Amino acid sequence: MKDLPDEELFTAGHTACPGCGCPIMVRAAMKIFGPNTVCYFPANCLLVFGATYPQDAFKVPYLHVLFENSAVCASGIKRGLKKLGKGDVNVVAFAGDGGTADIGIQALSGAAERNEDIIYICYDNEAYMNTGIQRSGSTPHGAWTTTTPVGKKIAGKELYKKDVPRIMIAHDVPYVATASIGHPADMLRKLEKARDLKGFRYLQIFAPCPTGWRFDTAKTVQLAKMAVDCGLWTLYEAEDGKVTINKKPKMTPVKDYVKLQGRFRHMTDEQIDSLQEWANKKWERDSAMVIE
Amino acid sequence: MYEVRFHGRGGQGAVMAAQALASAAHIEGNYGVAFPFFGAERRGAPVLAFTRVDKDRIYTKTQIYEPDYVVILDDRLIELVNVAQGLKEIAVAVVNSQKKPEELDLGIPIKTGVVDATSVALEVLGAPITNSSILGAFAKTTGEVKIESIEGGIRDIFGHRIGEELGEKNAKAARAAYEKTEVGTCRGERKMEVKKQWLPTYKELPLGAATRPMQTDAGLVGPGSFIDNKTGSWRTFKPVYDKDKCNMCRFCWFYCPEGCIYDKKEEMVFDFDYCKGCGICANECPKEAIEMVRD
Amino acid sequence: MVEKRVVTGNYAAAYGALLSRVDLIAAYPITPQTFVVEHASEFVNNGMLDAEFMRVESEHSAMSACVSATAAGARTFTATASQGLALMHEVLFIAGSAHLPIVMPVINRTVAGPIGIWAEHNDTMPQRDTGWLQCYIESNQEVLDMIIQAYKICEDKRVLLPMMVNLDAFILSHTVEPVEFPDIEDVDKFLPKYKPEHARLWPEDPMIIGSFSPPEYIQEIRYQTDESMNNSRKVIEEVNSDFAKAFRRDYYGMIEEYQTDDADAILITLGTVTSTARPIVDEYRDAGKKVGLVKLRFFRPYPTELIRKIAEKTKAIGVYDRAVSFGSGGPSWIDARSALYGYNIPVINFLAGLGGRDVMASDVRLMFDRTLEAAKEGKAKKDVVWIGTRGVEP
Repeated sequence: MKDLPDEELFTAGHTACPGCGCPIMVRAAMKIFGPNTVCYFPANCLLVFGATYPQDAFKVPYLHVLFENSAVCASGIKRGLKKLGKGDVNVVAFAGDGGTADIGIQALSGAAERNEDIIYICYDNEAYMNTGIQRSGSTPHGAWTTTTPVGKKIAGKELYKKDVPRIMIAHDVPYVATASIGHPADMLRKLEKARDLKGFRYLQIFAPCPTGWRFDTAKTVQLAKMAVDCGLWTLYEAEDGKVTINKKPKMTPVKDYVKLQGRFRHMTDEQIDSLQEWANKKWERDSAMVIE
Repeated sequence: MYEVRFHGRGGQGAVMAAQALASAAHIEGNYGVAFPFFGAERRGAPVLAFTRVDKDRIYTKTQIYEPDYVVILDDRLIELVNVAQGLKEIAVAVVNSQKKPEELDLGIPIKTGVVDATSVALEVLGAPITNSSILGAFAKTTGEVKIESIEGGIRDIFGHRIGEELGEKNAKAARAAYEKTEVGTCRGERKMEVKKQWLPTYKELPLGAATRPMQTDAGLVGPGSFIDNKTGSWRTFKPVYDKDKCNMCRFCWFYCPEGCIYDKKEEMVFDFDYCKGCGICANECPKEAIEMVRD
Repeated sequence: MVEKRVVTGNYAAAYGALLSRVDLIAAYPITPQTFVVEHASEFVNNGMLDAEFMRVESEHSAMSACVSATAAGARTFTATASQGLALMHEVLFIAGSAHLPIVMPVINRTVAGPIGIWAEHNDTMPQRDTGWLQCYIESNQEVLDMIIQAYKICEDKRVLLPMMVNLDAFILSHTVEPVEFPDIEDVDKFLPKYKPEHARLWPEDPMIIGSFSPPEYIQEIRYQTDESMNNSRKVIEEVNSDFAKAFRRDYYGMIEEYQTDDADAILITLGTVTSTARPIVDEYRDAGKKVGLVKLRFFRPYPTELIRKIAEKTKAIGVYDRAVSFGSGGPSWIDARSALYGYNIPVINFLAGLGGRDVMASDVRLMFDRTLEAAKEGKAKKDVVWIGTRGVEP
């Protein structure tokens, strides 16, 4: 962290909500990737708060085409630049979890299968926040969103979080990593590694959203750390399919994490138990990926 | 017909207030229409909402440019946006403020109703959410709508959105604010500076709006130009830094979503032009060298 | 040396991309376009064409890749048909509004439902408002020549828009006929390398493309696309003349007229039905019936002024469509009527060949007869005439 450059390639003046986790990740990523970078954005919060015409917080080239095609658009940029003799440029897509786990997964899978030479970053804030907090495949069990409201019959999301990093590992790409804004050293190291490798690189970075999760804006980083501690988010990386766990979760009670957030406020003990059970299983699954 | 413009911040519920007023008008047998300023709303950023009321069906679908009433949910907005835009001498303002009408300067001397809606809300709701209380002040100041109808409108709109119980509490807040509203005349000395907007002709606009960094008559545009956008005005709390406690670990620098904490080697410097007051720096500081205080 | 070979329309399209030295091809196979992708793959794998080839997972991604690579500064190529074009639909607008000169042959094929693979224009016609130029093709030679011309037109600074080069499924795509292949050195002289300035994603010259834009800007962006589309008429004519000079083949630009000068009745066709109609014009002329033919080469931009000039020299106009806008009429007819507002002559619509049903000589004769009859009567018996539909009186 001490070695990061002071220069901001993603400037202040952007219009993210106070306490937003995403710009913490973007600032760091841009410091790692440097000026020889082109960025692609699908429709998401970052598209809007990072640039609203004619203003733009990014000092590097910026392209938006559509929502569901981030991986292929980044690939198209990279292939075009390569043909023009600019193959050394980093091309990075910054997509949200809805744009990745749901509508964007077809293009993502295609680009991964072709081992396109791009970095794909999914900033995971566990719902469609830009459109006003609707559930995505990445929304955790029990969470209130505007499309999983707390009703008399059904309260919150009944289903569980989709495990996209594992899907990406199954594509046999050079690099897949999970990270969190709450663990800067680990995140920075992974961003650096992603920058320096060739081929398809996928990072899913956990970035809490105070507006959508209903918590005090000061607690963004704290909650990111707690998610790792309780096992709802595991930090690992897979290099050429070989998985390393970067931080063994403390398996603190999920309940401690849940009670700080308005999106979980309605949850019954039974629901919290279900989420706890899922966290336990997740750790079993994730740790089983490591082959001794 | 009368037209109302609400000034609030993203997350303060200005749109719900506008809708509850439309519902109140409906209760009285009038035709009420409420709509937001169509755009992406971010928490803390200044936003607008509108209500239009008439005896008969309203066909007009345009936005409101010359409102009869302007409702300001947060008096700090007076410093930020031109709340007097399009107001005529006969217009009336309703402001959430601890000040007296005569102490406020809206840029035009008009009849002004004032209530400390934040205190009312804290007292009745236990939270500083002023969108219901301000409607009580609107009823008292303008006389356009009965307080009973405002209560009904709030029960309707708030009740459906956040539950019956909270709807009822918000109706109570409006009644309490109604009782406490003071009406007078504000001052009109302020010259409102309206930020110039870049409005190029189609020929001046880069083809397909593919835009390089450019200096225009309205400031920077293109890559890196957001630096012109001073988001410090969104702030409610601000960090106070104690240099003596600081160990220069740079966590605050790293975690600041705005990138507005600078490492000046000997100390960290906070740039209040951009600080939105989220409080992450204070929360994460291992030495407790940062404290958040009301700005 | 100029080579002449008997090839399919699909081969001509792929070879056009080779001669245009495209930087990048992104494509997904769909009947009846598959041979375009296959031939292009062979060219690249055999080292005949030095291009990036993205074998993507859908047409949506094919067009997304072309849009992004063109925004990065490359010359790009793809091809599709029918459902593939429908899947591309939302991406097409981006190319039109960001002014990205992509060239794409579309093998006109029926859009489901129900699923069918034969010639119909209901895939390209609904794309008319996406900001793409649209050219309809009559022969395999024209396919090859128009791919080359399309890059020249599209990359012109007055235009900078994408173009669809539309050829009828099977009737051209899978039919072999003689095609002359120009020398690539001659094509190089005619079509220099693409030098992007308005849009390029180069770190040394950062720009923002496609960002979230409030109402204060989008209307001007729409006007820019409209103006470029209008500008393209002149560029199409210029490029056509330059091409005719360089390669001795003249396509007459926006429209081609055949025996129109003293015609009582003129039929406007697009696509391969034009070829079927040509000898019938001769046959009618021999019989003393004064008919003429207009080949509508460009549907976007629409040749409004040229169609008005046609109306000034005839008594009735028939318009052939291979697509229908349900509850209104054929799209080409709708535009002709709009262009001819205030011209007091009958303008009749003929719908035939839908779903790939063969348009026969007898169908075309019926079109001429009906238009001649309207010329004589001064009015049409019927505005929209469905030809060869069982149970429907034409």
